[in-house]
Amino acid sequence: MTVTGTTPLSAVAAAADTQGPVVVTDVSAADLAGITKEVARAPGARLADMFADGTDPVMLRLVWALDSDQRYLITQTPIDTDDYPALSDIAPAAFVEECEIYEQFGVRPVGGKPLNRVAIPPPLGQGDIDLPRLGRAPAELPQDVHAPHVVGGQAFEFPFGPVRQVGVESLYYGLVTSGEEVVDLYMFTWHKHRGLEWRTQGKTPAQALFHVERAEGLGAVANGWAFASAAEAALGIEPSAPAQRCRAIALELERLYNHAAAIAALCQACGLAVGRAAAEIALEQLHRLNAAVFGHRYLFGVVDIGGAVVTPDTQALRAGLPDAYGELRRGGEALLATNSFVDRLEATGTVTEEAARRLGLVGPVARASGVAVDTRLDHCYGPYPGQLRLPAGQPGGDALARLKVMLDEVAASVSLVNALLDPVGLEQVGGSDLPGRSGPRSNTSGCEHSANTPVRTRPGRPTGRSGLGWAESSRGESLAWVELDSDGLIRRARLRPAAVRNWRGFDDACRSQNVFTDIPIIEASFWLTVAGLAR
Amino acid sequence: MTADIAIEERAAAELRREVARQFGRSLHIRTLDTGSCAACEQEIRLLAAPHYDLHRLGFFFTPAPRHADMLLVTGPMIRAFAVAASKTYEAMPEPKLVVATGACALGGVYPDDAFTYGRVDGVLPVDVWIPGCPPSPLALLQGLLVAVGRLAEKVSGLSFIARSPEGAHEDATAGGAA
Repeated sequence: MTVTGTTPLSAVAAAADTQGPVVVTDVSAADLAGITKEVARAPGARLADMFADGTDPVMLRLVWALDSDQRYLITQTPIDTDDYPALSDIAPAAFVEECEIYEQFGVRPVGGKPLNRVAIPPPLGQGDIDLPRLGRAPAELPQDVHAPHVVGGQAFEFPFGPVRQVGVESLYYGLVTSGEEVVDLYMFTWHKHRGLEWRTQGKTPAQALFHVERAEGLGAVANGWAFASAAEAALGIEPSAPAQRCRAIALELERLYNHAAAIAALCQACGLAVGRAAAEIALEQLHRLNAAVFGHRYLFGVVDIGGAVVTPDTQALRAGLPDAYGELRRGGEALLATNSFVDRLEATGTVTEEAARRLGLVGPVARASGVAVDTRLDHCYGPYPGQLRLPAGQPGGDALARLKVMLDEVAASVSLVNALLDPVGLEQVGGSDLPGRSGPRSNTSGCEHSANTPVRTRPGRPTGRSGLGWAESSRGESLAWVELDSDGLIRRARLRPAAVRNWRGFDDACRSQNVFTDIPIIEASFWLTVAGLAR
Repeated sequence: MTADIAIEERAAAELRREVARQFGRSLHIRTLDTGSCAACEQEIRLLAAPHYDLHRLGFFFTPAPRHADMLLVTGPMIRAFAVAASKTYEAMPEPKLVVATGACALGGVYPDDAFTYGRVDGVLPVDVWIPGCPPSPLALLQGLLVAVGRLAEKVSGLSFIARSPEGAHEDATAGGAA
């Protein structure tokens, strides 16, 4: 990494000896474009999130994951005017956040590029209550993006949703098609926006955790852990080792049931009833195991601020996990030996490595495109051992690669749970028998940081305390930022589940020479939630 | 465990009998997400899994509200979703049921505020409430059993059945159950 002058990267280098994984630095609005360009070009750096705060001025924060450095870098820039440099021109992953910040805070990137409606629904009619925002309302409301009804005399937009098929979340697709091929795809998710970041304001972190877990029920542990971790950093507390171990076991159980559900959905999308039934048997066993071990089928209420509420029933876990895993493993092996199924996934919904990097994708979607990011390895947290080894991912970037990544991760999660159950074995997780064609990845350097309390290279905001938290959900990196006021109440909480990152790769995947019937397969292979995006 | 299985089997048999009697083994359910966290949806999908196998009881999911007897609604009813929810309900033929599913739908998670109605009956007439966050598949089955009873009451209250001279309630259902 090139370190020059007094840039954020030099701040990271300066913080190298301070044993902190989060570096916060101030950047002026005039320097923002240049510094963003510099960090975006640094090897191993990716834009993990961007959000704003306040009204006068609006404080713009960019969260960079410096994976090879095992650090997060947060730049904070006060925006005194109505606009700021168009960062998505430099880092395309910032576009969705630019739209969101315009809706919520009224500041926009320069250049007048069209911004989409992301979260705040359109006015519902006269007499309706004004929707609350995190900052001030924009001068002009953003619009839903629609394709022209005719493109080149051939294509038209086919509306689908928001009420969709049975047992799936509401979501509106605008499918631009010439009849069969997906030329383009738009999504509107504001039908499900619940204003969760707004709801956390003025609450204690412990009160807010109730809604944070329900932002995305299928990621309650990961999102709860990231949020709790952020709050703990702000409060200056650290959970005990057993509590961290408890969270980590719950997180792997969450990964297992989500991967099982994704595999069942893949089979359903391909019309493979036997495969679906096999995966759902394993899925139900895993939910029952969750209930037996932690008291809740979806692991709600496990994570607490400063620790964990529930002590796992390790006996039930040891007894039940092999059966559920065996069911899932046998089903996975049978699926990979079913040519008609494999053929259906091959070359479907391809995400190239370049697209995955450009859009800042995370989790199995990124790892199936050759981008091996995993916060359990790249950003030390929790009880993970210094020699943790996990599958590196798969090449290909298609739905088949994503299925294989999930199957590999199922095996790795079971190994990790077994190791977490055995304190002695904690240092022996993984090994040469772990699956993964490219060989397992490992954090051989071990955890260099003991806590995620931010290292502030310059004075931050004069009031309140803040912190960044993260966890590796089944969908990838989940991030949270919490800032408390002097009474310990939340002034601003930012929730960034992995779904927020990965949905922006979904339309790219659908466009890549796919037809209508590929869309359910691609959606299942991404296994995202609308709730996580429309939080 | 044996006792649990026996209770489960008895409940399943009772439900199967009721659905067969009332709906000729064919009660169709439409699901509707009005802002859920996605956990309720997963539990609803699991109703069709081998452990529960909803179809053996005579229930089927339908993607079309025009074919549905029952609307299984999750989420706290986001205000921006109310139009879509109402249109879905209006598209269903009579007699029809609305089942509010999960804590959000019942009013236990979100208040009535600018973003949400806070509960499903802010927009739709709810007949049956299924608590749980999320309700487990067995809780859903129990709720469906209650709902079938409510639907029977609605069927018997329909004007063309009430006017029938020879007890049309029995006639209307006997043919389907044959």
